Amino acid sequence: MAIIGVLFAFSIIIWLQAPSLVQKKMWRELVVFSVLLLIGMIISIPQALGMQVPSPNDLIVTLFKPFAEWMKQ
Amino acid sequence: MLKDIKISNKQAIYININMVIATGWLSAPAIIAEKAKQDAWISLLTAILLSIPIAWITSRLSSLYPGKTLIEYLEDILGLWPGKILAFFYLLWFIHITSIMFREYSEFLTDVFMPETPLVVFPVVATLVIAYAVTKGLEVLARTLEVFFPWIILSILVLFLLLIPEMDINRLLPVFETNAVDIFKGSLVPMGWMTEIFTFAMFIPFLNKPQQSLKVTIASTILVGLNFLLHVAGSLLVFGASISSMMYPVLNAARLISVSKFIQRPEPIIMAIWIAGGLIKIAVFYFVIVFGMAQWLRLKDYRPLVLPVGVILIALSVIVANNTIDISIFLAHVWPFYSLLLFQFGIPVMLLMIALIKRKILPKS
Repeated sequence: MAIIGVLFAFSIIIWLQAPSLVQKKMWRELVVFSVLLLIGMIISIPQALGMQVPSPNDLIVTLFKPFAEWMKQ
Repeated sequence: MLKDIKISNKQAIYININMVIATGWLSAPAIIAEKAKQDAWISLLTAILLSIPIAWITSRLSSLYPGKTLIEYLEDILGLWPGKILAFFYLLWFIHITSIMFREYSEFLTDVFMPETPLVVFPVVATLVIAYAVTKGLEVLARTLEVFFPWIILSILVLFLLLIPEMDINRLLPVFETNAVDIFKGSLVPMGWMTEIFTFAMFIPFLNKPQQSLKVTIASTILVGLNFLLHVAGSLLVFGASISSMMYPVLNAARLISVSKFIQRPEPIIMAIWIAGGLIKIAVFYFVIVFGMAQWLRLKDYRPLVLPVGVILIALSVIVANNTIDISIFLAHVWPFYSLLLFQFGIPVMLLMIALIKRKILPKS
């Protein structure tokens, strides 16, 4: 069910933004818009389907482990 | 894109203060007290002193490159490609911390007030409002905050005045029971929040008197510190060192308020401050992300990026942690180093050094 809502939201966003960008011939902006929206889809659609997505915090926690250990003492 | 936005010094100070305290005030006292116990207020004073240099660096860097934001002067200082790469990391970092703010914002509301509502509802609803505000620009955000800010501060002051009957100065004793290292560790956490003032480097060009930016950053840092001090000292005076085991000590303190059985449980005030302050804080960072991105990629307009970035922020805020405990462990143990070693302390210091050396050498050659 969640996936329908997510796809609906993406269609609304494209419908709101894309036509005016094409009309004004802002191609650079259109490319960035599409790339960002694609990243958004990559993160949100697996979630809507109930899959586990890795958190960016995991990477940061691993990088800063020695400091975190010192902090916990 | 740049020239039509202007904010006054007062608005800038409001933005800076709200940018730092809005998500910190409820949980920070507990995280500081976990290290420094009843000496948490000393940690906080240390943090204020250590954050003032960052306020100075923020304004100094902008005065070396007048009219340029952080994303633009990174290229001037480091050269085109290294500057672009570092700017990319700054943008990633802004996205990451904004998604954490979103999570804190919604976790508090689900934890305390609306436990039956799915977590994702809060960031989605918030984004609908914030995205609209961000599209309208920084000026509109500044004016919105100008309306809400006095009420936020007034509500905080009223809460603490009502709590005075519950306070006991003996709860601060013994002073210096913990050692200096623990007090220092305790001061790293509020410093992680207070050095968020460096984000102001993205707004200094919008000031109508950019030459007064030093006054603005220093004033904001001190006022933020005093505000934190009010929360930390207030909750310590009410509960003592036991606040370290609480999630939201300021909320717990507010629950104790009972003035002749007439004024009781003023938690809705806390919720109102949290929502007003939190939304504007997130909106300011949201603006920084889309505006910075537009500058980084040399776009004509930042507005087309608002909605896709909103989707990314919502999606990230859900996956960024499993639960409230995860978030507060991250904020207590990892966040201070993540923000201080790199983006809010380490890199700014390095940038200022390179910029000053360049200044000295270049005119001669």
